[in-house]
Amino acid sequence: MSAVIQEEPGVLEGATEGRRRSTIWQILKDRPSTLVGLGVLGFFILVAGLAPHIAPYGAHTQVGAPFAPPSPKHPLGLDDGGIDMLSLLMYGARASLLVGFGATAIALLVGGSVGILAGYYGGRTEGILMRITDYFLVIPDVPLMIVIAAIWGQSLLHIILIIGFLLWTWTARVIRAQVKSVRERVYVKRARALGAGNGRTIFRHVLPQIAPLLVASIVLTIAVAIFDETALAYLGLSDPSVISWGKLIKNASDAAAVSAGAWWAIVPPGLCVAVLILSCTLIGQVLEDALNPRLRASYLAARGFRIRRVAREEG
Amino acid sequence: MRGADYVIKRTIFAVVTVFVALTINFIIFRAAPGSAVSNLARVPGATHALRAELEHEFGLDKPKLQQYFIYLGQLAHGNLGVSFASQQPVSHELLQALGNTIPMVLLGTLFAIGFGTFTGILAAYRRGTAVDKASVSTGLFFYSLPTQWLGLMLLLIFAGTLPSGGRVDAFLFNPTPLQHILDVLKHMLLPSLTLGLVLYGEYTLITRSAMLETLGEDYILTARAKGLSDRRIVTRHAFRNAMLPITTLIALSLGYIVAGSILIERVFSWPGIGQAVYYSVQNRDYPMLQGAFLLLTLSVVFFNYVADLLYFKLDPRIRE
Amino acid sequence: MRKIRIAGVLLSLALVAAACKGGGGGGNNGGGTVEGGILRLGTASSIDSLNPFKAFNQDAYNAFFYMYPFLVQFDQNLNIVGDFAKDWQFNSDHTGGTFHTVSGGTWSDGKPLTANDAAYTINLILKYPGPTGLEAGYAKHIASAEATDPNTLVISYEEPVNESWALAQLELIPIMPQQVWSQHEGNGGKDLQTFRNDAPVVCGGPFILTQYQKRDIAQFQVNKGFYGPKPHIDGFGMKFYTSEDAMMTAFLNGELDAVEGVPPSTLARVKGNPNMAVMETQGMTFDELITNSNKPLHPELLNPQVREAFAHAIDQQQIVDVVQLGHAQVGTSIVAPVAGMWHDPNIKPATHDMNLANQLLDQLGYTRGSDGIRVANGHPMSYQVLTPDDVTSIGREFEILKASLQQIGVKLTQKSLDSTTVFDVMAAPDYVYPKDYDKYDLAIWQWTGYMDPDFILSVLTCQQWGFWNDSGYCNTTYDKLYEQQGVTVDQQARKQIVWQMQEMIATDRPYIVLDYRNALPAHTTQWDGFVNSPLGVFNNLSKATMLSVHRVSS
Repeated sequence: MSAVIQEEPGVLEGATEGRRRSTIWQILKDRPSTLVGLGVLGFFILVAGLAPHIAPYGAHTQVGAPFAPPSPKHPLGLDDGGIDMLSLLMYGARASLLVGFGATAIALLVGGSVGILAGYYGGRTEGILMRITDYFLVIPDVPLMIVIAAIWGQSLLHIILIIGFLLWTWTARVIRAQVKSVRERVYVKRARALGAGNGRTIFRHVLPQIAPLLVASIVLTIAVAIFDETALAYLGLSDPSVISWGKLIKNASDAAAVSAGAWWAIVPPGLCVAVLILSCTLIGQVLEDALNPRLRASYLAARGFRIRRVAREEG
Repeated sequence: MRGADYVIKRTIFAVVTVFVALTINFIIFRAAPGSAVSNLARVPGATHALRAELEHEFGLDKPKLQQYFIYLGQLAHGNLGVSFASQQPVSHELLQALGNTIPMVLLGTLFAIGFGTFTGILAAYRRGTAVDKASVSTGLFFYSLPTQWLGLMLLLIFAGTLPSGGRVDAFLFNPTPLQHILDVLKHMLLPSLTLGLVLYGEYTLITRSAMLETLGEDYILTARAKGLSDRRIVTRHAFRNAMLPITTLIALSLGYIVAGSILIERVFSWPGIGQAVYYSVQNRDYPMLQGAFLLLTLSVVFFNYVADLLYFKLDPRIRE
Repeated sequence: MRKIRIAGVLLSLALVAAACKGGGGGGNNGGGTVEGGILRLGTASSIDSLNPFKAFNQDAYNAFFYMYPFLVQFDQNLNIVGDFAKDWQFNSDHTGGTFHTVSGGTWSDGKPLTANDAAYTINLILKYPGPTGLEAGYAKHIASAEATDPNTLVISYEEPVNESWALAQLELIPIMPQQVWSQHEGNGGKDLQTFRNDAPVVCGGPFILTQYQKRDIAQFQVNKGFYGPKPHIDGFGMKFYTSEDAMMTAFLNGELDAVEGVPPSTLARVKGNPNMAVMETQGMTFDELITNSNKPLHPELLNPQVREAFAHAIDQQQIVDVVQLGHAQVGTSIVAPVAGMWHDPNIKPATHDMNLANQLLDQLGYTRGSDGIRVANGHPMSYQVLTPDDVTSIGREFEILKASLQQIGVKLTQKSLDSTTVFDVMAAPDYVYPKDYDKYDLAIWQWTGYMDPDFILSVLTCQQWGFWNDSGYCNTTYDKLYEQQGVTVDQQARKQIVWQMQEMIATDRPYIVLDYRNALPAHTTQWDGFVNSPLGVFNNLSKATMLSVHRVSS
């Protein structure tokens, strides 16, 4: 059917056959930019994990005058409550990454299941599942996120659930196309002919084949989820008691940081988000590019706040 | 797939989608806590009779299912209802907001398309070089910035040079039409630039990959063998083929950009549809929210449909 | 300026006059008056509707004050003075008053402006109390209004009323053109609500609203037919920003001549600019911690001793210092000090004393559990605090409250919702008229009172259950006093009642008033003649600012 960049069944075969067996690691090694991306992601995860131990001050401790500028004691200055910005950034990484990974886990679970079931079973199952996916695709998700977050009440869990449940469609489509192609492979057919159950076939033979693409899907979804969190936070819909990068931007903006000239309260959290998203995008882009050239650039369209996935196809 | 079959299928899908979407909208908004009436009735000296009367007036006392059919019936007559908050017809309020949003979004999108396509072609034409890497990574960098944050940064940088917010100068009394247009354009620059910057990376990458793909095709190689200049190949052949994904991307993205402009409208105090949604949420203004959702969904479905038809028109493979 | 909607709905309804202290603007550089020009005013709120029966936001009521005649207004010394009424006389039995109105005024559509319009407006409100609800409260106790001749208005009351109370209510009723509004009385008055009153609006005040774009701009031009003194300016424009930050960016970059309120964080930059002046004055807005006083989820919160412990534990000075950067006063009573004689100065803030607070809870036998949180009635003293998300500084306030109460073994968690919903949860659980207030424990809210204490006192009455009453406080003695104060003719006697009511609230603590925020309007030194008040320079207390504001010759 129609698709800008089509996911055709069998994409893993043919042109990419030679690369199919290359491991994720090999792909990454060939492209140094992804190593940088991985390094950054690892660094943020490390900082987030160790925040309580390495943060110089508490995330709720007032240590000076509100919006005090950077000083040797506080290299990134203080926020509008007189709290050390560097420490806040470290603690903020926790919630931001938690939303990123949490929402992605949900998206992966829902999208992955839908994709695998649709792709593996085909027929009516596929028709119904893909129809549902199509409807989810056209619902304007930004306003929907806002409405649900506002009505449901602000909590970190809600944010994760809302983002996760609105991000799965993309994963579902990518996975389905891959599963369909893998299913037709000789050894999968043989395994089934030999009497392997569906569950066993999926887990033993199909999943390992699509794993690299799943990884690509994961990193890209993480980026979108973190981006969405900052957006919801900016609209005042994040958990008020949780410090995230999005919340830091929101706090600074609420306290008029731009006009107060307190750039140190607003520039660093935004840069952290940007650097993290950029790293995820780099990793995901390269993985997808290497594994599935026909999906090229489709990841860009996963960004719910701007545009949806470009690639679509007839069920 | 057969051509007619394809068009019919896409049309049915579009129609069904609209119906599903408006049903979902109804469920979401009626399931919400926070009664609009309790807000309206909170006036000095308001009686409980008045509250009941208001509930009756807005149909909130009827069973949910009945409310749903009333809602559908009104929609069938093109009646989106009356805003709880302003007591004005929802269609009037929404069209006004949409009218403010569209020019700003359009300018930003045009920038993204123009600049993105240009850098994309440049990157493909000079693939593998520093120009390629710079184009792609700059595009990706802007793509990675949180929209609201980029807006605030631009505000920080350009404040004083360009207006810090709003759609028009509140202090330009009785402007001539030309003055008014220039005034609006001036106010549009920062929000449109924000939108354009976060969007253009997509066009860069799509254009680049489409170009690279066509540059590898047989007929390009033939053209090259014939001794056609690189420039001619790029502009005459490769780009013409790259138009297909670009056009489709434009159609698809238009449907979502309007919905996505909410962050930009918040940053730059732009009185558009995004802000209308934001305030409707704050006021629990169900008719406004439902109307806005319907409008946004319709725009997405419509542009999806347009993209489908465009694809049908541009890609001969489908028609066979 | 803060979003109004929260304190919201109320501000508009509630406000009243203010002690307009001192004279003109702060930035008097001694320049002479230059006639003409357009004043550029910025606000972080907006005019939400041009229909006085629909508008909620404070900015709308401020605009109405310049668009429409009002019988009376406040002067800089807090006295009621004439506006459309040049003088008045109350009957000796205080059941009515005669107002002589200024002649010679015309509406901007050319029709004469007379006492008939005033009588029409009041009777319209009396006739359709539902659709005119937003104004109807101010016509309380009025029996009828009649224009005995084009320049004489007679208002009769149902019972003897306190004169200053009555005038303070009339100060809030805009007089609207009969020729316009009589066209919109259909549908049993409901059409009054749907009338948009689009620009250009037919105005009788000093300015005509000629342009209005929702959430964007409003433009006001001088009304040549105004009955009063001619303004110095040709008009003024208002620009509505979505945030204080955007507004201040515009102001600091020379896009605006004046802003309604400077957020404390940017004060240093404004003050550091030699071309800008801030006019700081004590304000009417207060933040308070509300304790559910009816049926909180945790019954120990009804115990006055627990509330007293909270009051001693809360570091009010820290709130003033951190949240308001010192530009506020520590809160005491629900009637702000700037309300002058109505404020009871005998009420003092609770001393900040953690030991005392801890002792109070110890005495009640609420011992600390292993996690340091006290246990009361078999459960930990852990409470959810509702906060409205549209008043941005409240989040910071909560942080401070949380840290304070942590030290006395009480744990607070924040539940942030939009103000509409917060108010619903507090005052209208299940969205029906509440028999009980049983859906929450604590909340932070913000009110702005008027100069006359009537409204803010009414908020805590039983009659306001389900409407304005957010705490569920209900005390029949208090209610009786409230009724009495409106109809107590003698001013001193009324004051005693008002003080007594404040003391009851201070003792029972349905509210712990945290701070009174200062009003912080600012302008460039190219302009002068601003008249300040606890509600800022642009308010619905007086027409003075826009009549006297003028460009300064350099």
